[in-house]
Amino acid sequence: MSSSTREKVMKHLDAVGYLQPAVHKPQHAPYPDEIDHTMYRAYTRSAHDVGGEPDVPMAWEEKEEEQWELNTFATCECLAWRGVWNAEERRRRQNVDVGQTQYLGLPYYGRWLLTAARIMVDKQYVTLTELVNKIDEVKKRYE
Amino acid sequence: MSKPHYDREHHAKKATGIGDPQCFKGEAGKAKFKVGDRVRIRNLPDVFYTRCQVYTRGAVGTVTELVYESPAAEDEAWDNTDKPEWFYSVVFRQKELWPEYPDLYAEDTLESEFSERWLEPA
Amino acid sequence: MSEHKAAPMVDEVSDFEVLEMAVRELAIEKGLFSADDHRRWTEYIHTLGPLPAARLVAKAWLDPEYRKLAVKDGVKASLEVGVDWINDMPTHFGTPSDYCNLRVLEDTPKVKHVVVCTLCSCYPRPILGQSPEWYRTPNYRRRLVRWPRQVLAEFGLQLPADVEIRVADSNQKTRYIVMPVRPEGTEGWSEEQLAEIVTRDCLIGVAVPRPGVTANALRPIHPAVHPVQHDHGHDHG
Repeated sequence: MSSSTREKVMKHLDAVGYLQPAVHKPQHAPYPDEIDHTMYRAYTRSAHDVGGEPDVPMAWEEKEEEQWELNTFATCECLAWRGVWNAEERRRRQNVDVGQTQYLGLPYYGRWLLTAARIMVDKQYVTLTELVNKIDEVKKRYE
Repeated sequence: MSKPHYDREHHAKKATGIGDPQCFKGEAGKAKFKVGDRVRIRNLPDVFYTRCQVYTRGAVGTVTELVYESPAAEDEAWDNTDKPEWFYSVVFRQKELWPEYPDLYAEDTLESEFSERWLEPA
Repeated sequence: MSEHKAAPMVDEVSDFEVLEMAVRELAIEKGLFSADDHRRWTEYIHTLGPLPAARLVAKAWLDPEYRKLAVKDGVKASLEVGVDWINDMPTHFGTPSDYCNLRVLEDTPKVKHVVVCTLCSCYPRPILGQSPEWYRTPNYRRRLVRWPRQVLAEFGLQLPADVEIRVADSNQKTRYIVMPVRPEGTEGWSEEQLAEIVTRDCLIGVAVPRPGVTANALRPIHPAVHPVQHDHGHDHG
């Protein structure tokens, strides 16, 4: 185990403190009677459905594509080409199933990628053990 | 351990050389609405997944085109493709969608597509 | 939160890069697709760009019959600019994510179209290439449907009140390109000359073509740490 693992753990515990559910409340996991129709809808919303939400102007920028982003797009399209999922199932998983925090917090192709990993595990093409071991193995190539 | 079996070829078999949504043509039956109809977007529960934007719910618009037949997104998102529906292009006045939209721009519009389940006569 | 902005060093491999390799290698090892499938798909993506859509518009400006076809059947009209929405890609059933239903939105002096996908970033890749990053941002998707005039002004497009703005929210299986009005000062131009001023931004609807303007508005570019290594083919605009 890397000597910095404990450092990483403590950094992680600090970082998750910044992540919040959609509405900030002093007490998480509220009592059932605190969730009215409005809040129920807000919490069970499809995270991708952002049209009409207020936001402030931002600078419009172009972005150069990372090699892994292009590879991820090709992987996702190949998974659909070969019938592992269809595009609607992909969209549902990567834009809604991921939840609000990951939806807004991760890069665009980061969600595509996590979802491609997830579909292989969910549909039992790959065990989570195999995925974890593979990630660990790939990581070691660069150490 | 039991593993599920997925038919990974059904879509390719259906759509190769034809395309999607073309491959569902003729499967939705008779269309309930026609071009020019005034329709209201239904406010069905949107739990788990939808491609019917919340900002359109309850708004009234006009059907401008019957665009294609296809399984509704809410079904296809779990690979249920056996009940295609008609899809409609619907145009709204922006004033209908956003109460604060300036009167000066009353002619501004928005169009989007809806599967038949989301529409009711207005 | 600046202490969490741990940008990876150039020679460091990111978590996404590790996961990407792991996923691709596992998918290939398990036979979900082949390495050759992935290579062919990547090659297909490298052939894409906005030029065919620009040519479609230029052709329609010059040929009233073709213009009618483009508005009526975008998929059929695409064939004449070298794009087959069904058979060009390795699947031979279209791209999974873009489907095969193109609509060409015809601007007039009194109607200006602009495209958004509020639910994700649906975009007509087979004829327009990969979408720009700003098109994918929640910000563009949130605001364009409700404050289109303000957003268009930010893109440098201010339209008089007597021009109807029509926003197309691409939410299902149709993909859209905008056919702008042919600008004055282009009389006698060839199809090739006209296509040069129909930039990607014009085809999304956040800009209008102008003689002498053959590129998108200059914007800051966020650089990649490990950029895609390829020749962008017929990418332009």
